[in-house]
Amino acid sequence: MIEQLLQERLRAGAIRLGELIVRQAEPAGYVVRHWQDDKPEQKLTVKTGSIAALEIVRYDAEMNYRPLKGAPNLRTGWELRLDSVAEVRQTIDYFYPGAFATWLAYNRGEVMPVDLRQTLARQTGMYRVTQKLTDSQAEELAGRFCQSRSGCLRTILWTVDDKAPNRYLPSSKFDPQADQLAERREANVWIPFLCVEACNLFVAEARKIVKVHST
Amino acid sequence: MVEATDVYIVPNFISEGYFTAKVIPRELELTGAITVKDRRILKYCDPVGNDPRMTDLLLHRAGEVAADAPPHESSLVIVAHGTGLNENSAVAAKRQVDAIRDRGIYPEVVAAFMEEEPEISQWANLTTQPYVVIVPFFISDGLHSYQDIPVLLGIQNEDSAPASQQEVFRHNPYELHDRKLYYAGAIGTDPMMADIILDTVERFDLEHD
Repeated sequence: MIEQLLQERLRAGAIRLGELIVRQAEPAGYVVRHWQDDKPEQKLTVKTGSIAALEIVRYDAEMNYRPLKGAPNLRTGWELRLDSVAEVRQTIDYFYPGAFATWLAYNRGEVMPVDLRQTLARQTGMYRVTQKLTDSQAEELAGRFCQSRSGCLRTILWTVDDKAPNRYLPSSKFDPQADQLAERREANVWIPFLCVEACNLFVAEARKIVKVHST
Repeated sequence: MVEATDVYIVPNFISEGYFTAKVIPRELELTGAITVKDRRILKYCDPVGNDPRMTDLLLHRAGEVAADAPPHESSLVIVAHGTGLNENSAVAAKRQVDAIRDRGIYPEVVAAFMEEEPEISQWANLTTQPYVVIVPFFISDGLHSYQDIPVLLGIQNEDSAPASQQEVFRHNPYELHDRKLYYAGAIGTDPMMADIILDTVERFDLEHD
């Protein structure tokens, strides 16, 4: 079903998810680019096959490792050519793991965001200590770590004690209808990029905060 | 992401331990080897490190990296992570050491760890042969195999830039403590790993039909 829906969207025009844009190519196949490279007469390095995506996602333009795939620091200057929708699906998952499927599940009303308290409550070992993170620390962390400009492009659906951590973030950060890319193009091809639960990197940051405040 | 009813989960982990016993089941809400959830059947396999072919893979890596070292004058050290959080973490490495020792290729085969005794930093005291071959029992080449272990071995400084990662394997053999030391890459990077993942799934079906 995922591939079927991808195909429908691509036939209708294109898909833009996070910083990616996927289009049908002439006479056949598909082409993936960074949205900033989505204009004619670009000098791009052409790559083929979904495996090449793994190389692109690994480092930013300064060759720093990208632990957070949702971060708005995807390199530009490449074009990925793919033969099939199956490859498009695989490629999107390499760039943004689970993002397309999460959006489908969201449309079906099957996404159940996990409250941060629940996420932290089940941590064990060295991360158990994150349970001491206060609401106000969680708000600050979300404001710094998840903000769309240089943190993460996902739209936050999870809560802290049933409340959106919105003290330092605009309301658009929690709105699935809002595009997190400020300079967006072609709004009609855009797919929401959702975050249903605070990620492991967020939990690791929470640990640092609790540790600093406890010493 | 996954649309099939039957889902095999293969932990790409080198040993059973804290993550395979606790974290993965917790995060995927598994109740045992087979979990039925939302009309799905989740099949939780062994970590790939349990595959019987791991012994061959370790020996292959050792032979490859130390091609000019005579095995009968070499000590083989299998270095693994080890952790105080779970006593099983070191078991897989020790099991491999026993299996390799039984083959009688190397006069001395020992396990050493990053966070458990015997510690890898003691390699010179743990071994007696003029040639020492060190193979990391790790899934991938990352911080541990590129940086932490080389520092513990004394073949790299703590502040050396991670940009020269591949360099660490190019300087073999290292001459230290009057020995010749050969340091290999993590075994999980071997192309044979793909077959091992498929075998792990097959083994699960044989054990649970």
